Amino acid sequence: MNERFAFFRGCFVPVRLPHVEAIAQKVLPEIGITLTNLDEFTCCPEPVGIGINDKMTWLSLAARNLAVAEMNGLDIITVCNGCTYTLRHAQHALNKNKQLRDKVNETISEAGYEYKGTAKVKHFLEVLKNDVGAKRLKDAVKYPLSGLTIATHTGCHILSPREVMEFDDPFDPSTLDDLVTILGAAPADYDMKTMCCGWTLMTYGSREGAYALLGSKLANMKLAKADCMTVVCPQCFYQFDMGQWIASRKDIPRYDLPVFFYLQLLGLAMGYSLQEVGYDSHKVKNPLFEGKIKR
Amino acid sequence: MPISVKYKAKNEILQKFPKVEICLKCNTCGLVCPVQYAGFSATETYVNSIFSATEPEKNPNIWLCVSCHKCEEICPYEVKPTEVIEALKDEAFEKGYAPEAIREEINQVLATGYAFPIFQSLHFINRERERRGLKPLGDRNTAEIKKIAAKAGLEGKIAGGKTK
Repeated sequence: MNERFAFFRGCFVPVRLPHVEAIAQKVLPEIGITLTNLDEFTCCPEPVGIGINDKMTWLSLAARNLAVAEMNGLDIITVCNGCTYTLRHAQHALNKNKQLRDKVNETISEAGYEYKGTAKVKHFLEVLKNDVGAKRLKDAVKYPLSGLTIATHTGCHILSPREVMEFDDPFDPSTLDDLVTILGAAPADYDMKTMCCGWTLMTYGSREGAYALLGSKLANMKLAKADCMTVVCPQCFYQFDMGQWIASRKDIPRYDLPVFFYLQLLGLAMGYSLQEVGYDSHKVKNPLFEGKIKR
Repeated sequence: MPISVKYKAKNEILQKFPKVEICLKCNTCGLVCPVQYAGFSATETYVNSIFSATEPEKNPNIWLCVSCHKCEEICPYEVKPTEVIEALKDEAFEKGYAPEAIREEINQVLATGYAFPIFQSLHFINRERERRGLKPLGDRNTAEIKKIAAKAGLEGKIAGGKTK
């Protein structure tokens, strides 16, 4: 099987986390996912800062991005919960409300686009689960991450509202745990698993609140004996890596819990080194964890 | 402790969002709300503070909501607090009460097509991208973004907010 997708990189990954973009470009093609970079894509636009404050602009710019994929005859693969949320919301809203769809189409026709609704939007987690499948993922694992306990954090915006996102149970998501198991590691069973990472709370409101939340989540992961944790969204990554690093100076205890984008863990299991999956760009490093990565 | 919503305030928010009336104040939403870590709790809930504020669109706490929709998922009476908060943000933005960070981010997207500041730091971003074997950050079609945003009415809203 070889599936082709338009690679919707978003903003956070290419700007702040190039190592995540690099590992996606490395490992996805190796498991049969061909990525096409389309220069016409723009910011999705970001849902909490922009989407909620002006719905028409949000839906219209999202519809333009969807139309770009349609014109190229490709489905979209994302590497961010926020992008997935925006694009799915736009699809959901435009598909069920013809009046709104006509209005949005009139708006984007200004720039020569039309939303038809023919391109699917898939988060890479869905592509791994449904398109690649357990068997082919297992075949790609050359160095199982056995002996590692990994705390999974699926994040919020890929799960809710469930009738729009149609992905996993918002209060008991299991996809990421299953994918960690396929790599040979054990998922950590920890409290507060579906609580937000706190990135948005920190960005628009309360740094103290966000760090209290972060500290509680990390404490629970440690309690469940996690060696590291894994995420599927760049905002979550940044909050657990950079956020943990900064907060541990004063606000929370030092947990030294390394965080990995799931694609990095997949890369490790496929045989790439810590350096090759971009670990050198991380703020939180832990020699005890590093010692458990066998080669 | 049962939560009671102040009546004067309740009338104001009820006129805008009649569904709030069916809120049972069971506080179940408070158990799953991440904003509880910012000075609220499972009994003194964030949702209650939103529902009982006077001049709700001016309430600075509306900006704390992360739109995770957990309250909506767990609510036994389909109150959908997220919808209320998002509508209040929309109104606040139009009236010019949105925090500077929101305004800046919107301007950022209009100016560059990226939701992040890349004006001064482009050199550093591209150095890191090159180190990872990636192409430099491409220019995005801001002419089209501006055209669509203008047609959708965003620029008028930004201008309206600035005069406040």
